[in-house]
Amino acid sequence: MAYVSIPLYKRTIPQRYKLIGLKCKRCGWINFPPKGICKGCKVSSEFEKVKLSGKGTIYSYTVITAAAAPPEFSKQEKSGGSYVVALIELDEGPRIVAQLVNCKPENVRIGMRVESTIRKIYEDEGVVRYGFKFKPVEESLK
Amino acid sequence: MNILLGEPFRKWCKTMRKVVLLSTGSTKYGRIDVTAREAALTAAKEAVEKAGIENREIQALYISNVFSMTERQGHLGPLIATSLGVPWIPALTIETACASGGTAFREAYANVAAGFYDCVLVVGTEKVSHLDVVTATTYFSYGSDYQFEAVNGASFPGLYAAMARAHMHQYGTTEEQMASVAVKNHENALHNPKAHFHKKITVEDVLKSRVIASPLKLYDCCPFSDGASAAIVASEEFAKKYTDTLIYVMGSGRATSPAALFDRENMASIPATNLAMNQALKQAKLSRKEIDFLEVHDCFTIAEIMAIEDLGFCEKGEGGKISDEGVTARDGEIPVNPSGGLKAKGHPVGATGVGQINEVYEQLMGEAGKRQVEGAMTALTHNIGATGGTCSLHIFRRGD
Ligand SMILES: CC(C)(COP(=O)(O)OP(=O)(O)OC[C@H]1O[C@@H](n2cnc3c(N)ncnc32)[C@H](O)[C@@H]1OP(=O)(O)O)[C@@H](O)C(=O)NCCC(=O)NCCS
Ligand SMILES: [Zn+2]
Repeated sequence: MAYVSIPLYKRTIPQRYKLIGLKCKRCGWINFPPKGICKGCKVSSEFEKVKLSGKGTIYSYTVITAAAAPPEFSKQEKSGGSYVVALIELDEGPRIVAQLVNCKPENVRIGMRVESTIRKIYEDEGVVRYGFKFKPVEESLK
Repeated sequence: MNILLGEPFRKWCKTMRKVVLLSTGSTKYGRIDVTAREAALTAAKEAVEKAGIENREIQALYISNVFSMTERQGHLGPLIATSLGVPWIPALTIETACASGGTAFREAYANVAAGFYDCVLVVGTEKVSHLDVVTATTYFSYGSDYQFEAVNGASFPGLYAAMARAHMHQYGTTEEQMASVAVKNHENALHNPKAHFHKKITVEDVLKSRVIASPLKLYDCCPFSDGASAAIVASEEFAKKYTDTLIYVMGSGRATSPAALFDRENMASIPATNLAMNQALKQAKLSRKEIDFLEVHDCFTIAEIMAIEDLGFCEKGEGGKISDEGVTARDGEIPVNPSGGLKAKGHPVGATGVGQINEVYEQLMGEAGKRQVEGAMTALTHNIGATGGTCSLHIFRRGD
C-alpha cells in the first residue's frame, strides 16, 4: 500500500489545503511545492510564505481508466469509470498535478480556466485525506 | 549543463582507461516462475560463459534491481555473489527507477575506466509478475514524486499520458503516429526469441485497444515483465586476453531532470536525455551520423518519440512524423529499438538498461539473426528512470 502517514500529511497541510507557496527573497520566484533551494535562482534559501490564488489554466491532462490508477483511487476509478488528472499552471507561475472535478471528461481542454476547491482526495488508515482539486471557472463546461 | 561538460569532465576523459563490453547474457523476458535472484544467475552464467572467463576473475558485482522488496528480499549483492562462487567481492544494488540498469552499467564502467577493477559483472534483474496490476502500478508510481503526483491520482501511465497530450498540443503529434511506434516495435520483437511479446499488430489494433490513460491505450504501453540481463565490463588489456573482437564503451552520459513533471519547463521533453547525450557524444568524439542504431527507452510510445527528438536525431516535434514515415524501422535511416524495445521485448525494470546493452552486443557481433541491423558497428543505449528524472546513456563501437 502506498503510504503518506497522518502526521506527514498534516505537516504538508499548507500545500494541500491552502496552496501556500514560498516566494524567494532574492529573485521573487514562487516555489510550490516548497524547495530547499529556490528553483528560480538556484542559490537562495530565504523565502517568505505567500498564499496562491488557486486560479490557473490547464497545461495538460489525462483521463485515467482501466486499472491505471494508484490504489487510493482504484475504488473511485471503478465506481466512476474514470477520472481526470490535470497539470495546471497557476496564475502565479508554479504548475501542479490535481484532479479535475465538476467537468465532463470530454469537455476538458488545454488552456481551460480552472480554480481550486477543497475535496476528499482519498481515505487511508480510516482517515479521510482532504486536499485540493480543481474545477472549471466557466459554468457551461460543468 | 556546463558543469557536466566542464573541466573535471575533460580531465576525466583524458585520464581514464579504455573499457570494453566483453560479453552479455539474458533470460527471456515475460512471465518467469523463478525469483529475481535466480533469474540474475541465469543471465550472469550466460555472460560469463560467452566471455570465456572464470567466475573468480570477477572483481566486483553491480546489481540493478528495483522491486525485490516485493519478493521479501533485499540485499541481493552477497546472495548473488555467493551463488556465483565469489562470496568475497564487493557487491551492491543500484536503483534509479527504470534507468537502474543503465546506471549500474555506468558505475561498473567508471570503476573500470578509473583503474579500480579490471573485470566486473553487471546484472539487472526483476520479478513483478506475482503482483496484481493495482499493486504493481502503486510500486511503479513510487518512482515519481509520490507525495505530489501519485497522491493526486496520477499513475505512471497517467503522467506519460499528460506528456503525450502536451506533445500533441504543442507539435501536432497524432495518436496514429504514436501507434506506428508500437507497430514497429512489435514487428521487431517477432524476431527476438527473448522478447515478452511475439504478436504482430496494426495501427488499427493500437487505436482500438482499450484506453488506459487517454490518449494512451493498451498498445501504447509497455507491459509489466520479469527477466534478467547481464554484462561483463573489462579493461582493454584484460579483454584482449579473451577476444580479438573488442566492443568499446566510447561514451557514457548521465544526468537528471527535475523529478516531477510539474517542475519542468516543457513537459513534452526530457531534459536529462539531451544533457546525457551531449556528454556521451563529446566523450566518444562521434557525431550522430556515425551511430548505426539506437536502443531507446520506449516505456510508452510517446517516450520513443520524445527520445529521438531529445537525442537530436530529428527536430523537436518531428519525432511522430518520422516514426510514421518508417525512418526508425529496422531498415530505415535511423533504426530504433531493433530488439522490440520496452514495448514488445518487455520491461523488467531493473533488467531493462542492461538488456538494451545485450541487444547492442548481439547486433555489433553480428549475432542478431533476423533482426540484424546490416553492418552495425556503432550503437547507442538510452535508459530513462520514471518520467525522465534519470537518464543513463552509452555509446558503443566495435573496434575493428
Ligand atoms: C497497461 C497495463 C495497465 C495493462 O495491464 P493489465 O490491465 O493488468 O493487463 P492484463 O495483465 O490483464 O493483460 C490483458 C491482456 O493484454 C496483454 N497485455 C498486457 N499489457 C500489455 C501491453 N502493455 N502491451 C500489449 N499487450 C499487453 C496481456 O498479455 C493479456 O493478454 P492475453 O489476454 O492474451 O493473455 C499495464 O501493463 C501497465 O500499467 N503497463 C505500464 C507499466 C509501466 O508503467 N511501466 C513503467 C514505465 S516507466
Ligand atoms: Zn530565487
